[in-house]
Amino acid sequence: MEVIAVIAPLIGAIAAGLFLEEKPAQFLTCALMVVAAFVSLLLFRDICFLGTAPHTITLFDWISSGSLHVSWSVKFDQLTAVMAVVINVVSCMVHIYSVGYMHHDEHKARFMSYLSLFTFAMLMLVTAGNFIQLFFGWEGVGLASYLLIGFWNHKESANAAAVKAFVMNRIGDWGLALGIFAIFMVFGTLDYDTVFAAAASKKDLMVTFLDHQFPALELIGFLLFIGAMGKSAQLGLHTWLPDAMEGPTPVSALIHAATMVTAGVFLVARMSPIYEYAPHAREFITFIGALTAFVAATIGMTQFDIKRVIAYSTMSQLGYMFFALGVSAYGAAVFHLFTHAFFKALLFLGAGSVIHAMSDEQDMNRMGGIWRLIPFTYAVMWIGSLALAGVPPFAGFFSKDTILESAFVAHTPFSMMAYWLGIVAAFMTAFYSWRLIFLTFHGAPRADEKVMAHVHESPPIMTVPLAVLALGAIGAGLFFSKFFVGEARGEFWGNAIFVLHDNDVLSRTEEGVTGIYKFLPTIVGAFGIALAYLFYIRARHLPAVMAGTFGRIHDFLYHKWYFDELYNIIGVIPTFFLGRALWKTGDGEVIDGLGPDGIAEVVSASAVKAHQVQSGYIYHYAFAMLIGVVAIVAGYLYFFRGVF
Amino acid sequence: MIKSFITPELMPAFPEISLAIAAMLILLFGISRKEEDYNSVSNLSMLALAAVFMTLCKFCTETATTFNGMFIADAFGAFMKALVVTGSFVSIMLAAKYVERQRIMRFEYPILILFATLGMMLMISANDLIALYMGLEMQSLPLYVLAAMQRDTVRSTEAGLKYFVLGALSSGMLLYGASLIYGYTGATGFDAISTALAGHPAGLGIIVGMVLLLSGLAFKISAVPFHMWTPDVYEGAPTSVTAFFAIAPKLAALALLTRTFMGPFGHLADQWRQVVVVISVASMVLGSVAAIGQNNIKRLLAYSSIGNMGYALVGLAAASPAGVQAIMIYAAIYMVMTIGAFAVVLMMKQKDRMVEQISDLSGLGDRQPLLALAMTIMMFSMAGIPPLAGFFGKLFIFQAAIGSGLYTLAVLGVLASVIGAYYYLRIIKVMYFETAGDDVIDKASDGRLNLLLGISSALIVLFIVFPGPLLTSAADAAQSLFK
Amino acid sequence: MIATDLLTNYFPIVVFLVIATGLSMLMVGVSFLAAKQKPDTEKISAYECGFEAFADARMKFDVRFYLVSILFIIFDLEVAFLFPWAITLGKIGLYGFWSMMVFLGVLTVGFIYEWRKGALDWE
Repeated sequence: MEVIAVIAPLIGAIAAGLFLEEKPAQFLTCALMVVAAFVSLLLFRDICFLGTAPHTITLFDWISSGSLHVSWSVKFDQLTAVMAVVINVVSCMVHIYSVGYMHHDEHKARFMSYLSLFTFAMLMLVTAGNFIQLFFGWEGVGLASYLLIGFWNHKESANAAAVKAFVMNRIGDWGLALGIFAIFMVFGTLDYDTVFAAAASKKDLMVTFLDHQFPALELIGFLLFIGAMGKSAQLGLHTWLPDAMEGPTPVSALIHAATMVTAGVFLVARMSPIYEYAPHAREFITFIGALTAFVAATIGMTQFDIKRVIAYSTMSQLGYMFFALGVSAYGAAVFHLFTHAFFKALLFLGAGSVIHAMSDEQDMNRMGGIWRLIPFTYAVMWIGSLALAGVPPFAGFFSKDTILESAFVAHTPFSMMAYWLGIVAAFMTAFYSWRLIFLTFHGAPRADEKVMAHVHESPPIMTVPLAVLALGAIGAGLFFSKFFVGEARGEFWGNAIFVLHDNDVLSRTEEGVTGIYKFLPTIVGAFGIALAYLFYIRARHLPAVMAGTFGRIHDFLYHKWYFDELYNIIGVIPTFFLGRALWKTGDGEVIDGLGPDGIAEVVSASAVKAHQVQSGYIYHYAFAMLIGVVAIVAGYLYFFRGVF
Repeated sequence: MIKSFITPELMPAFPEISLAIAAMLILLFGISRKEEDYNSVSNLSMLALAAVFMTLCKFCTETATTFNGMFIADAFGAFMKALVVTGSFVSIMLAAKYVERQRIMRFEYPILILFATLGMMLMISANDLIALYMGLEMQSLPLYVLAAMQRDTVRSTEAGLKYFVLGALSSGMLLYGASLIYGYTGATGFDAISTALAGHPAGLGIIVGMVLLLSGLAFKISAVPFHMWTPDVYEGAPTSVTAFFAIAPKLAALALLTRTFMGPFGHLADQWRQVVVVISVASMVLGSVAAIGQNNIKRLLAYSSIGNMGYALVGLAAASPAGVQAIMIYAAIYMVMTIGAFAVVLMMKQKDRMVEQISDLSGLGDRQPLLALAMTIMMFSMAGIPPLAGFFGKLFIFQAAIGSGLYTLAVLGVLASVIGAYYYLRIIKVMYFETAGDDVIDKASDGRLNLLLGISSALIVLFIVFPGPLLTSAADAAQSLFK
Repeated sequence: MIATDLLTNYFPIVVFLVIATGLSMLMVGVSFLAAKQKPDTEKISAYECGFEAFADARMKFDVRFYLVSILFIIFDLEVAFLFPWAITLGKIGLYGFWSMMVFLGVLTVGFIYEWRKGALDWE
């Protein structure tokens, strides 16, 4: 059963990619995803609620070389079950939605195949029982993401975005790979269970890295987190995520909101037995997570591309998850991952529905006044935004609240910084969410008449997935919070997540957060909504006034803190310069001249020679053999025996 | 004297004995039919080979010698025999439609393959110079006949004659070497030779004898400078026969070479290593360079096989368990790639006429994408591009060389494979980037070829996923040579 | 000493050689002297398998000559094996006996093949 949940998307990907025409491809991939989603729901129920023991199914050996033994396996414990549900359910919805959304596209089968391939890789990642398979899945989702971002490969910007995503992720993967090497060096194995069991015994071990002594687990934790930063678009390695919105919108929903970008969160949660002994690495995670949550929210307030706003919101929410991880509230992080998957996928698909209705328009400056025309989409965008802003009783309220409370009770300098930045970000989240709604749906229409005449509600094949996700966005928090972060969390998580007793902040949120702090997130959220109402419905000249008054700050935020420009100057331009220099002089003149071109000439000349020797006469051949023997014997005697 | 005439243990040679009996029975069956009954004989032969394959499994765990120590059955032998038997089986399967079209549907064809296979199995199990020679000749004679099978065409008879004359010359060298070795050690049994050579420096006569022996065997695997027959024979012989030549006998000769030089001459590894290195470098370089100018795909594959044997010899030069393991892995992968490549060559016909020029492949990528894809997999794998199996074959070989400190050899090998990649890629380029004229390859009509091509492509692609069985069985088998 | 022993062992062969040479010279000489000679062209021409002894080697000839001679060699060799086998049969036991039987069996298979193939028919 576990295997079905993992293999079904692969079968779909292969069949759709290689063999099927578009209609059967769409049908098959969707059907297989429904099966996979259903099976993973069953597994979720069995493992998390009915008490089926977590287990690992070893499929077959993969590498057995020296002391390195790696097998292909499907490891299903509580954490995997949660992830599998998120991946398969969201992916299933996205698959179905895509049938409608990609209606006009010419390469439907290819698109479905990529989607399924991505799902398979993501499942490999979360069901891995060892680091190599994890890495396989990790790179697999990277590849699928690259293919999907650049799916419209006739658009230059899409290709550039795909390359950018790939390169930025490469930097993260470098950290992940080093982390895996370090684990093999320290533990001598890459098997999860063995590594986790031995983690406590290695907590005082020091290793030398770059000529300095580091605590082994801190170093591992730090390196693995670099990998997570790349994949989850944390500050510093985040610039690819907004650009990735060049891909079709279902892709953004599946990969760049619900699943792939959360792989980093999953990684850190999975490695909880290591991170528990790496307090400094966790402080670093808290710091980066909090900054990301804040910075992304500030940028989100100023953007006008509907998908980019949601993309920055995703980045910001990922920041929340990471600082939850940093304060050892792994359950809260995964819970937010879980709820976020639903409401963010909902928002993206809702945005997709808007874009679809507006004839592929993404700029919010050219929208407005369409809420009566597409009421269903309007409703689900509200649900998604309410969940995102953390308004009770929507899903985001439970998870975001828990995260902020965890950070508060952890009460270290970093966690307090995270708490306050998180509160500010929560305010901004509410603001930009309603800014998006008001700009998109309300006010006077700013699109031209042709577009407006064409605005229509999406077909059922797109709205049904929206409805399903909306249910999740409404109910996931209410229903599951008891298990993920509440009193039943001990039984729910079992051994999948390991927390030292002293670090168990979730157990202290009840008594640790009192008075105003308990309601602060909700209050700032309400303020944010009110402010957005003021700016974009009541006093519509205010945004321009604000942008004029705080011109510098607005520019700074509007240009995304100049990260792209900075990287361009310190990274891209010198690299291009170096590349050009090496290409023209180094490669073109020196290496090509002496190497390929020169060698090629020698080779083709010798090929002609080799031809001529092959005369076709037996006596020539026999002569060559005899000469050969004589030469070998003579050479041997001359060189090694010193005869002659 | 009398003692040696007690009945020897026959069980270790059970697969060979069964194959011999089966081959003769099939011969009698074939001759007793009124009409030429190629199909029944061919099916029976495949059945016999399959049965022999089954019996091999029984002998793959322990080592046994019989016939006064002249015959040895061990894990190494079982592994290589399994490859050879598989190769022969596939060769018969590949031939089916081809012989029909070329009107060489003689029932002797599969039977000759059976006898050659028997010879190869004897070679692999040879533990004595005399047994070695007998196996070698038993293998060679049917091959000469097969090469000249299409006896009403000049090219085929020329191929057979060339092969025969040069083969006789190489046998002469080998015999001369064997007699020198006998003269200097007083023994023909491998164990006795090993004992005689242990512990003191080798005399000149031994060295010369060893080099001659090596030359004779190098002819069989067509290593430079004993390779010159290969392109001519490969081109001239009927294509299905060429496929057989490239698949099975190479492996048997490689096994024999490995057993001989790791066994009785194992003590002299430092002496013969230099010779093997020279031959191997020459083969790799010539195989890569000379293939570049070829237009005929059979000639190209001939040079490719010369080059491939050069890589296998790198493993021999390593003279270590890792080296032997690498040779075996390489041999297995080489066989699969060759099967795939020849399956494609056998499909190359235009308007029902066989063609062999590389340019005939142009436009294949458009017209028959699956066939082109399979050929691309084979070519990429032969060029050693990861993650296909051919890459790992080379990887293990070079790892073994580096493990034995042969850095220069490994570097030269990698360079040669870079040069070699050129002509493999050229085929891919022709298939995908050159537009076809009016003539393109006909749609494949033989399901067996498609099946074999599919299986070999799958094996090449999936090796990285399931390398375990091949690696471990090769490791165990290699260990049996170093007991 | 050993060398002398060795040579002593070869003495009968020397005797044999001498007698053989002498006898054959005697026979040729006597027939040359005593017989009546009436040569004609047919009689004095060299005889070799139906060919001219001194002619161009690249002429057409019937390949069946070779077939027959090859077949002859095979069975000739068989006899060459049978003689020593027959002499030592008492010492080599049942295994020796069956070895030769197997050998003959294999040859018989070949014989059946050539017979059925028509290699033994001249026309």
